Amino acid sequence: MGGTVLQLIRPGKGNSMMGLKPNRIFLSTLTFIALAFFLSINSVRAQEPTNQELLDRIETLEQELQYFRESLATNTARSEQAEERAEAAEIKAEAAARTAENAVNTASAVAPLPDTKWHLAGYADAGAMFRTNGGDDTFAFGHFNPVFLFQYKDIVMFEGELEFEIDEDGNTEVALEYAQLDFFLHDNITLVVGKFLSPIGQFKERLHPTWINKIGYAPAGFGHDGVQPGGDVGIMVRGGVPVGKRSMFTYSLMVGNGPRMGHEGNISFEGFGKDDNQNKAFGGRIGFLPVPYLELGFSFLKGKIDGLHGEEEGDAHPESISLDSFEFEPSTATVKLWGADAAYTRGPWDFRFEYLKSVRDPIYSFDEEEGEVALLPEMTLTAWYVQLAYRLSEIGNSSFLHKFEPVVRYGKFNISGNHHLEEANAQTRLNIGLNYWIAPSLVARIGYERRKFLEEGLVEKIILLQAAYGF
Amino acid sequence: MNTLKNLILTAALSGMIAGPGLAYAQAAPDQTDPAQIARGAKAWADQCGRCHNVRAPAEFNDEDWYVAVAHMRVRGNIPGDVIRDIQAFLMASNKKK
Repeated sequence: MGGTVLQLIRPGKGNSMMGLKPNRIFLSTLTFIALAFFLSINSVRAQEPTNQELLDRIETLEQELQYFRESLATNTARSEQAEERAEAAEIKAEAAARTAENAVNTASAVAPLPDTKWHLAGYADAGAMFRTNGGDDTFAFGHFNPVFLFQYKDIVMFEGELEFEIDEDGNTEVALEYAQLDFFLHDNITLVVGKFLSPIGQFKERLHPTWINKIGYAPAGFGHDGVQPGGDVGIMVRGGVPVGKRSMFTYSLMVGNGPRMGHEGNISFEGFGKDDNQNKAFGGRIGFLPVPYLELGFSFLKGKIDGLHGEEEGDAHPESISLDSFEFEPSTATVKLWGADAAYTRGPWDFRFEYLKSVRDPIYSFDEEEGEVALLPEMTLTAWYVQLAYRLSEIGNSSFLHKFEPVVRYGKFNISGNHHLEEANAQTRLNIGLNYWIAPSLVARIGYERRKFLEEGLVEKIILLQAAYGF
Repeated sequence: MNTLKNLILTAALSGMIAGPGLAYAQAAPDQTDPAQIARGAKAWADQCGRCHNVRAPAEFNDEDWYVAVAHMRVRGNIPGDVIRDIQAFLMASNKKK
């Protein structure tokens, strides 16, 4: 614009063409410029803020500045905290890594076990019994059964169980429940030699310890003087063979000295250290588990007993009787036994069933009732029980309630061909109990038992209190 | 005759089975093998509960568990490889934290 004005006021060829005098043009131009300057100054003055506006703006700027300073301080503090946390997390991560590494090193560095290893196991129980008729209420020390286990590598194990009991007069009785050597020949084959618990059925071999037995006492016919053998002396092969992913066959096959004539014409299966005849008893159990919590079993045993020579201690014959006389034939008899069992043990449920039957052929033996040798008729023993227990572990949220386990069992022991035994032992037996599991192998229980004797119809009721500990 | 029969029975149950069995080498349980420990945990729950309550790993030390579980190998007719899995699990799980 200025350049243009100067061009307009300079004398030159272009301006001369307008026909005006230079001085007038110059003065007019100056006047115009002065007027324009004045106007422009006034215009600028009209747009300038007032002092108050400037103060307000300064105040606003100061407030904004203060806000930014505070924000900066806050962000700085947060940043420092985050940094501290990150450092702490890093320290923890390093500690966790060291712990894990130590665990692996510890596991790796576990000292190898010695070639000979041992373990003392067993169980004990004590309690009280209250009877409704016959017999006095009494405290009872039931059992103290230490089990000694010694193992050499994975080659052989010795197992021995002693049973300590006190009788009614306070005398201590000691019995050898079993003493056996187990040779681990193969993952699926173990060879057992010595005195072992009978593999017939489930109860005697696996369920009789009082911390395992849900009731605390044996079912009718599954204890002493029952149909289930207690043990034998001989050899046995046993093991388990997987079938598919979850199924399994089990087998226990034994040859032993077998049974003998017991008291009052009964058969005794207590595991005798010497056979009474040349015949060896052969028996065992075959089991099948379609799934781990369902087991089905079949048991059998066959042996012979001597009616005149093989009785238990205390059954001495009168000297006047010639036991080798040919008039006492048959003096040996075959004993056949078979049975079936089942178990369902899923979750809180524990269901068991067992059935055993034994038949002894007619035999000449000493008849204690008659006081002479007599032909004893065929004798049949049949015993069975069914038992159901349910642990309250899935009911409610109370850990106290979860430790209770009600249980009920009903069984029957039938005897034919031996009146004396039938009168004393044939019965039905109902048990109702409640277990309180203080620990997996420590239980306090209360139980009710009702025995009805089949011969005379007598009923006996028992209240049982018991504490049992498996160690 | 009976003696011969008894001898045959004894041989059938021991010698003939023991012969090939004695040559069989059994591996030791490895308590640092995660796969074996996992198998052992499942077998521990499955097999022990067949007869009694399942007992906690912390109840025994390594040696006690090793022998106690081998005892169950006989009593429960549990295969040896399953027993080693259970041993590995219990021996890896019984350490106090």
